[in-house]
Amino acid sequence: MFFNSLAFAVFLPIVFFLYWFVFNKTKNTQNALLIIASYYFYSCWDWRFLFLLVFSTFLDYYTGIRIEKSSTEKGRKFWFWLSVGVNLGFLGIFKYYNFFSTSFAQMLTAVGVKASPILLDVILPVGISFYTFHGLSYVIDIYYKRIKAEYNFVDYSLFVSYFPLLVAGPIERATHLLPEIKVKREFDLEKAKEGVCQIIWGLVKKVVIADTCATYANAIFDNYATMNSWSLILGAIYFAFQIYGDFSGYSDMALGISKLFGLDLLRNFNYPYFSRDIAEFWRRWHISLTTWFRDYLYIPLGGSKGSKAMQIRNVFIIFLVSGFWHGANWTYVTWGFINALYFLPLLLLSRNRNNLEAETLKWNFDSVGIIGRMLYTFSLTCIAWVFFRAKTISDAFLYLKRIVVNREFSSQYLLNERYNYELLLMVGVFVLVEWNNRTKEEPISGKYNTVKMALAIVAILAFGTYSDYKEFIYFQF
Amino acid sequence: MKKFILFTLKMLALTIVIAVVLDFLYTAVYLQSSNRGKIDHIYNSKNRNFDVVILGSSRANNHFVSQMFEDKGLKTFNYGMSGGHLFEASLLLKLMMERHYKIATVILEADLNLSNDHQAEGISAKFLPYLHQSETIKRHFEQEDDFKELYYIPFYRYIKFDARIGFREMFFSVIHKKTTHLNNLGYYPLGKKPNANLKNNIVNLKPLQHNRYYEEIKQICKANKINFIAVMTPMCENTEGINYFDKVQKLYPEIHNYENVVVEDKYFSSCGHLNNTGARLFTAQILKDFFNK
Repeated sequence: MFFNSLAFAVFLPIVFFLYWFVFNKTKNTQNALLIIASYYFYSCWDWRFLFLLVFSTFLDYYTGIRIEKSSTEKGRKFWFWLSVGVNLGFLGIFKYYNFFSTSFAQMLTAVGVKASPILLDVILPVGISFYTFHGLSYVIDIYYKRIKAEYNFVDYSLFVSYFPLLVAGPIERATHLLPEIKVKREFDLEKAKEGVCQIIWGLVKKVVIADTCATYANAIFDNYATMNSWSLILGAIYFAFQIYGDFSGYSDMALGISKLFGLDLLRNFNYPYFSRDIAEFWRRWHISLTTWFRDYLYIPLGGSKGSKAMQIRNVFIIFLVSGFWHGANWTYVTWGFINALYFLPLLLLSRNRNNLEAETLKWNFDSVGIIGRMLYTFSLTCIAWVFFRAKTISDAFLYLKRIVVNREFSSQYLLNERYNYELLLMVGVFVLVEWNNRTKEEPISGKYNTVKMALAIVAILAFGTYSDYKEFIYFQF
Repeated sequence: MKKFILFTLKMLALTIVIAVVLDFLYTAVYLQSSNRGKIDHIYNSKNRNFDVVILGSSRANNHFVSQMFEDKGLKTFNYGMSGGHLFEASLLLKLMMERHYKIATVILEADLNLSNDHQAEGISAKFLPYLHQSETIKRHFEQEDDFKELYYIPFYRYIKFDARIGFREMFFSVIHKKTTHLNNLGYYPLGKKPNANLKNNIVNLKPLQHNRYYEEIKQICKANKINFIAVMTPMCENTEGINYFDKVQKLYPEIHNYENVVVEDKYFSSCGHLNNTGARLFTAQILKDFFNK
């Protein structure tokens, strides 16, 4: 059941009605309903994996309490590592086992030992990377005594399984979401309206931008060997907007849906393509994951403290792990590595904390410089996205090589029966809309919001891509 | 909460109004269009006379050279549609009748397309803008599973088939951008591809014992006193399951088997499609056999 499906359009109003009219007596009834709805939502993909979700929830709930109750450091450590080990073990088996097995066999073959990998016939449970990280952050926070363990199982389950964030984030923190869950929600008209606007804007990003860009990006990436330089450049740009529209569109819908139930989720995107350097890009892209890695991996490793060598090591670790989190493929690891390389000069020159303030443009040369830096950063991200999108690393290198050596910049008719340049106008309009609204969470709110809403609905109906339906990319992670 | 419900209802009403307006605009554009493809070309026409009309899939579209018929004094148009099934061929013929076409002979390519009697969505979508205007189209689609949604939900047809009749196609209709579909009197010549795959496997294909739309076409021809010629057209030699054509012959003895009139690979663009030279050889044979020309 996707947020942009007919089934969800039926599911959401039913849950909304029950939540505010039937189960609104106490926060316990509200939470109980949301848990039932969330489990139903998850079981629509594959009910068998519901057991995994419930087990993972129970494990972290129980170990969290045991960590808190343990009187000895040894006991605390035992329960902590049990939770971490089992969580990462599940993730390892379901997400990475086949990858490691295949890579190991390939390595043996490379050194002359014949080996065929033993592969498991398992499918990846939807959202496992997300709910595992929810649970891990909770247990780590208890272990480091940042929060108290949650003793109400329903409240804790809701924190892990809340359906708007269950399958593709944002990755929530117990410090942020649990306090909201622990009080009865009262209906807030403005928040609910904001939620509707955010859902609509998320839909625009998904069906108008992401799915339309996808048809072009796929036609170009899948046939890159016959594409000219212009098509390949456009392919990388289209994919950049596809993944942004897809993932940030999903996040917007998740945030909007959650607002309908009176719960605020963490913001996941902050107009990342207007970043002036890569460090800023990573402060604006998939914020909930970036901050998760910062708080639970980068800082424990020493962060930006210690020698330059240690700092560089930490940067590479965090980016490589982040790439690997996305999927069991060397292309994702390479994508992480490239981003680490981009980050390195900023770190060495101590410029990674520049550009913390919002950008302002005026009619002067400084603004030209700012725009230039944004375009440069966007170009770097596009190059990295080629590795993220390509099937193999060699495909990505050949793709980039062809951009350089082909040197043909004519229009090309693609296999999706469209010319390569046709989407530029739409992407340009989208960029302008985002630019004009970059100080807000989403563009529909504020003045004239009925007109903006009408325009968004027109865009969804008239410019959306429906016949070539695409799942949300981040569901596979 | 009351205010929020009102807000939601307002948004719903706004969506419905927008859908109705867009549906009206798109339909109005398509009702004016007559140069984008064979369907709008027929829909927005009347009282045409033809000696020969060719119907079928791409294996008709790429195989019958209309000009060769014309050169022999036969007014001809090739209405074969790439990707189309007999569902669309039948509807096209019904539309011609609705528009009082006078046709002496219909040549129907009937071979691989006899294996199914469902619509080819990519092609049938092109009829949908006229769903509310044409009784013939409405009746033809009535038995389809999604008819009610397509007919009653405003703008749904344009959303569902956005790649075929969505904004892009509507925009091109507005600016009267021409396509190649109507060039060469409907015939689309194929070139010789250097790396063409001249192999095919049709082992799993089975002709239906009773193809509803094939029978419909036969009935329409009979009712309108149109000479009906059904033919099977050539496939490349390296086709596994080539006995499919014998099975067709057994089930439909009236269909003329021309599968093996052109056999050499040099006459094919792909395994199921002749190139221009091959198509000319094939058409010459048809002209000789059926029209004595």
